[in-house]
Amino acid sequence: MLEFLLALLTTATVGALLWPLLRTRVDHRGRLDAELAIYKDQLAELERERAAGTLPEAEATAARIEIERRILAAGTAAETTEAASSPVLQKWLPPALSLFVPLLALGLYLQVGRPGLPSAPFASDRIAEHPAPQQLDVPRLLAEARARLAQDPDDADALAALGEGLTLEAGGTVTQAAAEALRRAIAKAPDDPRTHYYLGLHESQSGDSRAAIARWRALEERSPPDAPYLGLLRAEIQRVAKLAGIEVPPSPAGSVPPSGMPQPSREQQEAMAALSPEQRQQAIRSMVEGLATRLQENPQDRAGWLRLANAWKVLGENANAAEAYGRADTLGPVDARILADWAETHVRQLSPGAAPSLEAVMILERLEKAEPRNALALFYLGAAAYAAGNKPAAVQRWRTLLALLPADAPIRPMLEQRIRDAE
Amino acid sequence: MRRALFILPLLTILLMAGFFAWSLTSGRDPASIGSVLVGRPAPKLDLPALRPGEPALTDAALRTGKPVVVNFFASWCTPCLAEHPLFTRLAEREGAVIVGVAWKNKRDDALAWLKKLGDPYKLAGLDLDGRTGIDWGLSGVPETYLVDGQGIVRRHFRGPITERDLNDTILPFLKGAAK
Repeated sequence: MLEFLLALLTTATVGALLWPLLRTRVDHRGRLDAELAIYKDQLAELERERAAGTLPEAEATAARIEIERRILAAGTAAETTEAASSPVLQKWLPPALSLFVPLLALGLYLQVGRPGLPSAPFASDRIAEHPAPQQLDVPRLLAEARARLAQDPDDADALAALGEGLTLEAGGTVTQAAAEALRRAIAKAPDDPRTHYYLGLHESQSGDSRAAIARWRALEERSPPDAPYLGLLRAEIQRVAKLAGIEVPPSPAGSVPPSGMPQPSREQQEAMAALSPEQRQQAIRSMVEGLATRLQENPQDRAGWLRLANAWKVLGENANAAEAYGRADTLGPVDARILADWAETHVRQLSPGAAPSLEAVMILERLEKAEPRNALALFYLGAAAYAAGNKPAAVQRWRTLLALLPADAPIRPMLEQRIRDAE
Repeated sequence: MRRALFILPLLTILLMAGFFAWSLTSGRDPASIGSVLVGRPAPKLDLPALRPGEPALTDAALRTGKPVVVNFFASWCTPCLAEHPLFTRLAEREGAVIVGVAWKNKRDDALAWLKKLGDPYKLAGLDLDGRTGIDWGLSGVPETYLVDGQGIVRRHFRGPITERDLNDTILPFLKGAAK
C-alpha cells in the first residue's frame, strides 16, 4: 500500500508544479501590444526632438519611416504565429501529456510490477554459496597445526592443516614447505580430500596441470555426491584445464544414472492409498523386490544398492538391508551417515543382551573411527569388548557414552547397571 | 586544390584501418615488445650475493658451458609469486641452474620471501638500485632470460613464465642446450 501512497504524493507534487503552467497562457496579443507601445514611445520622442530642433528634418523623416516599417513587421509576425498554433492545442497539450505519462507508468506497473518482491542483493548470494577462504583465521590455523605437530609429528590431519595454512599465508601459492607437509600428510592418510586438493593445486602451479587434473578428477569420482567442496573442485578443474588447454569432459554432476525404484505415479499412489494396510505392505514389498531383481542384473549400481538397503531397512528386513549396504560398500566406501544406518541394521538383528557379530563389530569400528562420539558404536563396541572379556575397554566406552547422554535418557539406568557389572 | 585537401581525413582513416587489420591478422603478439638481447652475449653481471656469506654473482656464472635460467624477481611483485612454483619445479625436478636477481628489493624482504616460498636459486644476486636491470633491458619484474652455455641470450620472457612457456620453450631449451 505504501507504494501507492508514495505515488499519490508524487502526483500531488507534480500537480502543484503544473498549476502555474496551466494558468499562464503565452499571449501573442499582449506581446504585440507591448511592442506597439514601445514604437509609439519612440515616435513621440522623435516628434519631440524634431520640434526642439535637435534632429534635422531629413533624418527625422528617415527614422520615422524605419519605425513605421517595424510596426508593420510586428503586426505581420503576430498574425502568422497566431495562425500556426491553435490556442486549444496550446492550452491542452501540457496537461494531457503530464497526465498521460504517469497513467502509462501506472498501467505498466500494475501489469508487470511486483511490489512484494524481496530485494536480491548480488553479493550476499555469492557469499552464501562460496564461503570465502579468507574467513579462515590463517594465523590461528597455522598455530594450531604446529602445536599439534609438536605433540605428534605424524598427525596427518595437522600436516594437511599446516599445508593449507602455509598456502593461504602465501596468498594461494603452495609453497615448498606447504608441499612438503602435504606430501607427508598424503603418505599417512591417502584419502584426505583436502590434501589431494592442495597437492593438485601445487601440481598445477608447478606446471603439471595434467597431473593436477587427473588427481582432482579421481577425487571428484570417489567423493560423495553431496560433498561440500565438489563445486569448488569442479570449478578448479575447469579453470586449470582451460588455462593449460586440456580437454576435460564435463563433470558428471547431477547426472547420476536413474537407478532403482521408479517413483510411483499419481494414480499408483492413489491406488495404494485405497488398499488395506496388509495389501499396501505387500505392494511396497513387491516394488522393493523388483528393485532387488534389477540390481542383481546390474550389480554395479552403487546408488541403487543404497536405495535398496534403505528400503529393506524401512520394511524391517534387517538382514537384507545389511547385505545391500555391504554391496554398496564394495563399490565405494560409504560415509559415516550410511555406516550408522548399516550398523543399525546389524544390531537390530541381535537378541537383547547378545554381543554383536564379528561383521557388525567391523562396521561399528569403522563407524567409531569416522565418528568417535557415535552412541551406537560406543554402546555395541562396549558390548563386544565385554563379551570378549576386555572389561576395561567396555567400561571406558560405556563411560564415554554415559557422559554424552542427556541426564534424562531412558537407557541411563541400564547402562549404569552394565558398567557396575563390568567393574 | 583546396577541395583535394578534404580527402586527407579519409586517407588517414584508411591507413589506420589497414594497419589495424594487418596487426590483427598477422598473428603478431601485440604484448611482445621484443628484446635486443636475444642472440647477443648476456650483459655484464656483477652483483653482491643476496644470501649472506656467498660469493658475489658475476658473469662467470653464465659461462660455465651449461645453460642457465636468469630470473629477475622481487618480493613485492605478485606475478613473481605466481611463477615461483614453476622455478621450484625446474630446480627440483629438472635440475636446472637458475640464477635469481632480486631487483629493487631490500635484502631482508627478499630473503624472507624466499624463506616462505622456498628458494630455487642456485645463485642469487641483489640489484638494489636496478642498474643491472637497465643493462639487461628490464622493463619490470618478473623477467626471465635463457642463456646458453656460451653466455648468449637465447630467449627473453617479459612477465611471468607460464606452464606453456615451461613445456614448449624452457624444457626443450634446457635439454637441447645440454646435449
